[in-house]
Formats: sequence, structure tokens, C-alpha cells
Amino acid sequence: MTLQTVLIANRGEIALRVIGTCRRLGITTVAIHTDLDAAAPHVREADRAVRVPSYLDIDAVVAAARGSGADAVHPGYGFLSERAAFARALEDAGIRLVGPSAAVMDAMGRKDAAREIAEKAGVPVVPAYEVSTSSTTQGTADHLEFPVLVKAAAGGGGKGMRVVRSAEEYADAVAAAAREAEHAFGDATLLVEKYVERGRHIEVQVLGDDHGSVVHLFERDCSTQRRHQKVLEEAPAPTISEATRSEVTRAAVALAREVGYSGAGTVEFLLDDDTGAAYFLEMNTRLQVEHPVTELAVEVAGARPDLVELQLHVAAGRPLDFSQDDVRLVGHAIEARVYAEDAYAGFLPQAGRAGFVHWPHGDGIRVDAALESGGVVSTAYDPMLGKVIAAGATREQARRRLLTALDDTAILGLTTNTGFLRALVATAAFADAGIDTAWLDRTDLPAPPLDGAGVAAAYAELLHHEETTAGSAWRADGWRAGGVPGPGHLPDLPAGRTAVRTGARTALVDGVRVVEVARTDHAEGVTRLVLRTGAGDHVAWVQRRSDAVEVVDAGHRTAITRPDPFTVALADPGAGSITAPMPGTVLDLDVAVGDTVSAGQRLGAMEAMKMELALTAPFAGTVVAVGAAVGEQVALGTVLIEVEPTAGIDGASEGSGA
Amino acid sequence: MRELVADLHARLAAVREGGPEAAREKHLARGKLLARDRVDRLLDPGSPFLELAPLAATGMYGDPDAPDAVPSAGVVAGIGRVSGRLCMIVANDATVKGGTYYPITVKKHLRAQTVARENRLPCLYLVDSGGAFLPMQDEVFPDREHFGRIFFNQAQMSAAGIPQIAAVMGSCTAGGAYVPAMSDETVIVKEQGTIFLGGPPLVKAATGEVVTAEELGGGDVHARTSGVVDHLADDDPHALAIVRSIVATCERGSRPAEDPAPYPSEEPVLDPEELLDVVPVESRTPYDVREVIRRVVDASRFHEFKQLYGETLVCGFARIHGHPVGIVANNGILFSESSLKGAHFIELCNQRGVPIVFLQNITGFMVGREYENRGIARDGAKLVTAVASSVVPKFTVVIGGSYGAGNYGMCGRAYDPRFLWMWPNAKISVMGGEQAASVLATVRRDGIERRGETWSAEDEEAFKAPIREQYEAQGSAYYSTARLWDDGVIDPRDTRRVLGLALEVAASDPTPTPMPDFGVFRM
Repeated sequence: MTLQTVLIANRGEIALRVIGTCRRLGITTVAIHTDLDAAAPHVREADRAVRVPSYLDIDAVVAAARGSGADAVHPGYGFLSERAAFARALEDAGIRLVGPSAAVMDAMGRKDAAREIAEKAGVPVVPAYEVSTSSTTQGTADHLEFPVLVKAAAGGGGKGMRVVRSAEEYADAVAAAAREAEHAFGDATLLVEKYVERGRHIEVQVLGDDHGSVVHLFERDCSTQRRHQKVLEEAPAPTISEATRSEVTRAAVALAREVGYSGAGTVEFLLDDDTGAAYFLEMNTRLQVEHPVTELAVEVAGARPDLVELQLHVAAGRPLDFSQDDVRLVGHAIEARVYAEDAYAGFLPQAGRAGFVHWPHGDGIRVDAALESGGVVSTAYDPMLGKVIAAGATREQARRRLLTALDDTAILGLTTNTGFLRALVATAAFADAGIDTAWLDRTDLPAPPLDGAGVAAAYAELLHHEETTAGSAWRADGWRAGGVPGPGHLPDLPAGRTAVRTGARTALVDGVRVVEVARTDHAEGVTRLVLRTGAGDHVAWVQRRSDAVEVVDAGHRTAITRPDPFTVALADPGAGSITAPMPGTVLDLDVAVGDTVSAGQRLGAMEAMKMELALTAPFAGTVVAVGAAVGEQVALGTVLIEVEPTAGIDGASEGSGA
Repeated sequence: MRELVADLHARLAAVREGGPEAAREKHLARGKLLARDRVDRLLDPGSPFLELAPLAATGMYGDPDAPDAVPSAGVVAGIGRVSGRLCMIVANDATVKGGTYYPITVKKHLRAQTVARENRLPCLYLVDSGGAFLPMQDEVFPDREHFGRIFFNQAQMSAAGIPQIAAVMGSCTAGGAYVPAMSDETVIVKEQGTIFLGGPPLVKAATGEVVTAEELGGGDVHARTSGVVDHLADDDPHALAIVRSIVATCERGSRPAEDPAPYPSEEPVLDPEELLDVVPVESRTPYDVREVIRRVVDASRFHEFKQLYGETLVCGFARIHGHPVGIVANNGILFSESSLKGAHFIELCNQRGVPIVFLQNITGFMVGREYENRGIARDGAKLVTAVASSVVPKFTVVIGGSYGAGNYGMCGRAYDPRFLWMWPNAKISVMGGEQAASVLATVRRDGIERRGETWSAEDEEAFKAPIREQYEAQGSAYYSTARLWDDGVIDPRDTRRVLGLALEVAASDPTPTPMPDFGVFRM
């Protein structure tokens, strides 16, 4: 059969990624979208688009596929991609899912069932314990050997995962994990297994067809993780021996063969650093977020593979037209996931409008992203904005290219983890391939010094004033009678900065010599600067606005607020105001006006970006105001609860009438 | 010339320091910024500052190095760009005698207001002054061009649509209180600025009431209770930020960046650095003034008018920083022909709406029977009339001598050039010291001889020497600039830039130049 029309049951970068391949193959594409996404890039790029109430609404998505005459549905990753019920509904509708059958998904999609199959195929598995089957069954911790990992049986991507180190934490952790699992995957079932403290996450890309062929496309190393969320991924794995590589690839193919796997899948292993043993973790029956590193590091029959094309090829019922011998490693690729989160403030998810977006390009650089200038990032969906992938002949070449690419990943208006990624890629630990899965959880990367941004902002200020006065006798060169130029104060920046021009491309910023190495102007009034200071060259993207100068310096975004003489006198919000730390939904409120609370007492909870945040009293006192209702959507900074300190009442009554 | 320029730079550096070190330390210890620092922080980043008469008061009130000197006359004044608009800034220097107004301080303040009015520049007053310098009240208070004129000017300019803005950053007592009171919009620094008609000592003397300065007229009182000021600032930088924000709302202010010169600016082909070498210090040594012109004008291009006629006055059109100008420059003594040529050219400039730059180096009009009999007074009067009646902006740079009626014909201070600057080698007096001594000696000798007495050569020389010395001292550029006869002594190499800044200041006034009522008279 030949696929004529494919519906992409996803959004964002992966939808664009699939649409791109379909277009190249001459396949008509159908997008789906929610109301929120009506103007999203994937809707614009697809040939047609159908509205659905939710990307998780199986009936609606199947109806959309049927209505649009799609032969097949590509599920991407996340959403319905590993839901057997969805695969079954499509099978019933006579539409091919680009992925394995519902039966295989049933078997492999569940971590518990997959373990049994793996054992049967002779694949080593991590020691596992009792599986609690629902959020209402707390399970007993008596027989567990801690630490253990509690995770959603249905899930992936770290959602619903908890490391539990003692019996005391067990019940709470299970409850929370179950709630997150239920929310994220619609299934609260959990799996509890031995937790390897120092391990590496190795996964093998496999591909099977309907005719019994299974091949692998080597492995990826996704050990750089933060709380089980992959941060950096690369192919091939930089530290494993050829023996281990043979073992895991053989095991992965054996497993896929055992279940009669068709399509692209990923078999995940945990390498225990202490013992060197590789354990099967789970199989993901979908295209992985990090599949581009495989596409850039592997050659199939002399060409770079397109995994989506191969998926569609197999989905059309055709046999794979190459064998394992045609697959070889030809270089190295590293992917960095760009998230809307503040890496230096507890990784709090960020939402808002990205006023300016620039993705890098260049030799060996690939970007899979859907965010563009003016794009809105909402709390409704995954905060991943895109992926920056760098390939090279060697790992070091790829790593250096990635550093450069992250310098030129500029997203303004929204805080992202780009600066964190850049700092991470620059660490000796990553350069030496020494990062295990728990490294980030025990290592704090220092926040970048703000001075790079400050210097860039000051220099941009100087440039602006020079440019807007160029050609005039009143040009901004600080002229004074007698040849000594003015001190170069920048009154519209905080902290009394100065900038004085000393040459065509040199200046003194705060008395320190700065050389302008390169400079280009971009849309939205953004200027890219490469500045050389004593600390070396750094790339800064600067946007001057009336309210602030926003800078992305080495990937790190800083908004330098301009002094506003009319807000100086405004009182600071009281310390007793509990504000929404992020945009989201009020989950519950435990207190009402007049209630007496103790310091640290839980007053309620907020939910945003699939995370729960407890609202706690900053000090003992009385609740004097409640600014939101349960279920209410609140903006960042909304005052939710106000507490008046008990001790402050006496002090407040003094002073009047003096 | 290089020595003269080095001396100028040293003098400028000295007055930039402000008052005595002890006064500055005390000022800074109060958390206040120094006057020039306030100006620098008020300006837009990189803005030039065209300072008026920084060397005012030099030597007038004692030795400049002595503690009783009054650097810059105790007030910093000049033009700079604030929130994109050209403004006149007047900042009292409280480290100089408490910022009190000496007679020359008043004159400088009034000169700044004149420049502001003529060029329609918003006025920003950074007030930190104890008011009139009481020991000299007779030279400060009563006359037409004295203290009261400051407030008269504020009202007149405000009426003419020229914004008057004050920031009270220190004392503002008695008459000084009217600076903010007469301003359109006013800022005060809390616990630092005070405004009252009578300070606590006067209040106690008059009524017996004991009151602190802050209670009497502090920032809080005026911002919350009296309404004398409109904005309360935390400190100096905050006050300056508010002033910047106010200026941003002055839509009538000119924004040079948005109204650039009509032509692109081109650097001279001949290096202005060489001005220090091509111009002889001694004004009696002849040289070709075109050497100066070509080092000042754009691309060194000069469209010369009547090159072959009246050769002692060089006239022609050029551009400076993209602004078209007519240049009138002395190249020797003024004869009838050169006077007529000058008058003709000034008429051309008026008809064509081109500002005029006078490069003054003139010992005077030619004297002697032949010239008087041919009516040089009549021809000189034509030049003086043309200059006096001219309606286009005029700018004068005294690059050498400025003597006698030549000063009038070449647009001296009395002829209202928008700006007048001196080079450090410039000399100004009604005639040369030698000539004056000779004239006075001749008159005296005539008197002595009428009485039948004799006057020895030694006695005559003893009579002449102090006259020469007096003329030498009073004719110096620094004697001139101390008294505000000019707007400053400039480094010759700065001539082009200073003229460019001033031309742009004048051009930023949107008022159209009126047309002359007559056609061009061929002289």
C-alpha cells in the first residue's frame, strides 16, 4: 500500500518534523489542533487542519483521521503515542497507526509486562519489587530494599517518577507519583524497582517491519538528566565498550523480535557504573524526542536515515530494504533540549510570549523547533521549546559546535534553560563524558555572573546613542571642550554603568576594555554582539526597550529593568503576601480570612505545568485576605493569600499622631 | 600656540574640579553629587556638552589658586542633549562659596538664559545655591541685568513656550526660591533640597519661631503640603531621572537626531590639528586666513565670493558639519573695498538664509588722510549696518586681534552673535596697548608742552609702560572670558566642532528666518 494522507496527532516541533518528511515524500498532511493552538505553526504548515477538543481525545482524533481520509496516523511522542486504546481504535477504523500494533503496545508499553517479555528474551532486567496497582493501594514498604524508584507503569519522560530512600517517605511518594501518573497518562499504575545511584542511561534505536526484519541503529546515551528528565542526549554512547555495545544492541533486537515489533522503537538500558552491568529498563514504542542524534550519527546504506521516513515505509507495509550490515556509525551528535524553565530558580516552568526567537544554523547544526518570534508558550503543554542538535566527525567537534549553536539560541521575552545547557555542555564533566544520570541532581551549576549581560547592555546603549545621532555635530561621542570626553554615564541603565568609546570597535565599559568582534542587527530591534573582554569572547543578543534591556548572553536571558523614577516610591509588596510563583491553577485552599496560621503551615496548593506547589505561611499570623478561588487560573505574581504577622500588630499601632 | 593650548587645557582642568577640596568632601559626604557630575548624569549617554564660559570669574575675585577664587563663577552652564532634546543646563556649584551669586555669576546665569531664549532651548536649573553673595549685594541685586532678571526671563521664556524646569538639590533660599517657584515643573530631593523665602535664622529673627530647615521648606513639605514642587526624589540620581522624564514630555524641544543637518558632514581634507602650526601666535604676523577656513569647513571646500576684490576680507560659502554657512574672515586690515565686499556678502547670506561665521582677526579700519577723505567711515558703517541688521544666526570666533571698530564690523559681542568664542591667542581691546600708550602720551605731551614745559623720553616711557601693561592684561582672552565678554576660550582644533554644535543648536529653532526687506545692494 502507498500512504496518500497522514494525520499527525501531535503539535509543536515533532508535528513540524513529521510534516517535513511527509511533504518531501509527497504525502498530504493533516494537522489537529486545539483552540489554543489554532494559529500554531504546525497548523499553518500542514495541508489541512482539524480542530479537536484535546490532543488526548481518542474519539475526536480518530474521527478527525477518518473525516480527513487519512490512511495513517503519526502519533509523534507523548500524547496518544503509546496508548494501546488509541492504536486499537485506529485499527477498528481501518487506519494504520505509524507505530506498533495495539497488542505490542499493550505488551511493551507497560513497564511491568515488558519486564517479563525481556526476561523471556534473555535480556537482563533491573531487580524490581511489588507493583502497586492503583493510587488507592498504598502498598507496603516492609520488604523493599531502598533506594527504589517509583514510576508510572504507563509513562515515560520522568513524569510520576520518585526516588524513595526510606520507608517513611514511601507512602507519600507513591500517592504523589500516582496522582501525577493519573494526570499525565490517565493511568495511575506504578512500578517500583531497584534504584541505581550512579548509572548511565543507554538506549538502542530499533526498527522492525511487518515481515519479521528487525535492525538496530546503534545506541544513544541520555545520562545527562535532571530528575529523570533528559537534558542532553548523544549518539553514539561515548563511554561504553564494544562488548557492551554488542550486548545491548543484540538484546534490543532480540527483544523486538520476541514481540514481533514493527516500526521504530527504543529499548532503554541502565548501565550500573559500579558493576558495569546493563539492565533493561523499558521499551518505548514510539519515536523518541532525541531521535535526531541517531539520524545525524548513523549511516544506512551510505546515507543519513530519516527515521520518520522509515516509520512511514514500514507503516505502508513494505519490508525494510537494508540489512544490519548496511548500518554504521559515522560520527557523533549531541542534542540539547531547550525548555521554558528558569534553570537558576528551581527550574520553575515559564510561560509567556517569546518576543524574539532566533535558532542557530550552520555546519552540523540542526534545530527541531516550533517556537518562532511572537510565539506564545502556555502552561497547557510540555514546556520544551525545541531541540538544538550538533553533529561532528568527533564528539569534541560536535560538542564545540553545540556550544556555538547555544550561543546563538536567542529567545527573548521568556526565560529558558539555554544558558544552563550551554554552561553544562561547557563543563569538564561533560567534555570528559563523565556525567551519570544523577550528576545534575547532586551538582549545582553556578548561575552565570550577570556582568556579561550588563556589559552587553551597556555597549548596546552606547551603540544606540551613537547610531541615532550619527552624522550630527551632536553625535554621542561625549565631546567636551579641551579634549577630555565625558564620563559616559548611562542613566537609563541601573547601577550607574558607564560606556566610553575609545576606538571604532573598542570602548571602556565601567572602565574595562571591550572589543566589538562582530555585530549584526536582527528583527524586533535585536542586535547580536560578539564582545571580547578579559574573560574572552561572548555572544550576546540584546533588545533595547523602554522598560528594559533584555539580553541573552551565552544563552542566558536577563532582563535588565530600566530605572523608573515613578516606581521608586511605591511600597514593596508585603512579605506576608503569598503570590503565585508561576501561572497556573489554584488546586486547593486550606484557609479562610481570619484563620490563625503557624510559620510554614500549608495554606493551599497550586498546580501548573503538571507540578504541584504547596503554598506555605511565611510566618505565624492571621490570614487577612484570600485573593483566589479553587480552580481559578491565576497569573504569575497574583497575590493568593495575605498573612499579617502576629508580632507586627503592636508595632503597627504605634507612630500615628506623632 | 601649543603652549597656549596646554595652558588652556590646564585652566579648564582646574575649574572642572569645582570648589576647594574640603568643600567637595563635605558635599559628597552629604550624599550629594558634584555640579559637573550632576550635569554628566543628566545628559543622554555620550551627549556632547557645549559649556558656556567655564573660565568665567577667572582672576576677578582674587588669585585663581587662592581659596577665595570662584571657579566657573560658581555655576556650570551649557547645552547638552537630554532625552534626545537640546537643553540649556544651569547647575549651581555649592562647593564654590555655597553656590552663592557673585555679580559675574548673575551675568553668566543671564547669558545662559539669553542663549536659551535665542535658540529656544528648554532650561534645566539644578539648584543648589545660598542665593545672592551678600557682601556684593549692590552689584547683584538692584539693577536691570541683576538677580531679578533671572525670574523675569523664566516667565518670559515660559510664555514663549520654552520649558523651564528646576530640580532643587540643595538650598534654594530667599530670591533663589523663585527659581523653582517660577519653573513650569519642579523636582526636589528629600532631606536635601530646601526652598524658603526666609531661612530658619531669619525666621527666628523676624518672628521668634524656631523651626528646622526641613520643617520650614524640605522636600516632604513642598511635595505633600505646600505644592511648591511637583516631584519628590530620593536622591540626586533619582531627581535627575525625573528631570530626564520631564524633558521627554517637552514636545516642543528640538531633537537633533531627528532633524539632522541638511547635508552629510564631511571631515576637512586639511587636518585641523595643523591649526596649531599654521596660525602665528603674534597677531601682527600676517598669514592667509584660508589656511584656517580650509581646516574648519567640510571637505575643505570653500566657494569664495569676490576673491579678487577687497582681498583683506575673505568671504565665501561653505558647510560645517553639514550646515551651510557664509564665512567672513579677516585677511588684513579693513579698507573701503573689503568693507563693501563684506556688506554685500552679508546681504547675500541674509537673502539666502545662510548663517554667518565671522573669523575675527582685525586691527581695525585703515586710517590716514587718503582713506578718511575717500570716506572709509561711510564704507565701514555699511559693514557695521549689514552686521547689525542681519537676521540670520551669527557666530563669531576671535582667532587673533579684535581691536576698535573692526570688532563692530566683524560682529563683536555688541552685535549679538548667537555665540562668541576666543582662541587662547586672541586679544581684545579698543586699540593696541602701544597705540593707546602713544595716543595718551601724545595728549599728555601736548598739555605739557602747552604749559611750556618739557617731557623727557624717560618720563614718557615711564608713563607709557603701565598703559601698555594694562592693555596687555585687559586684552587677554582670559580677561575677556572671565567677564563673559565671550562664551569661552576654545582650543583652535575644537573650532569646527564647536561651530557645528552651535549651528545645530541654532538650526534646531524651527522659527523661520525672516526675509530681508530690500534686495541685495551691490556695493
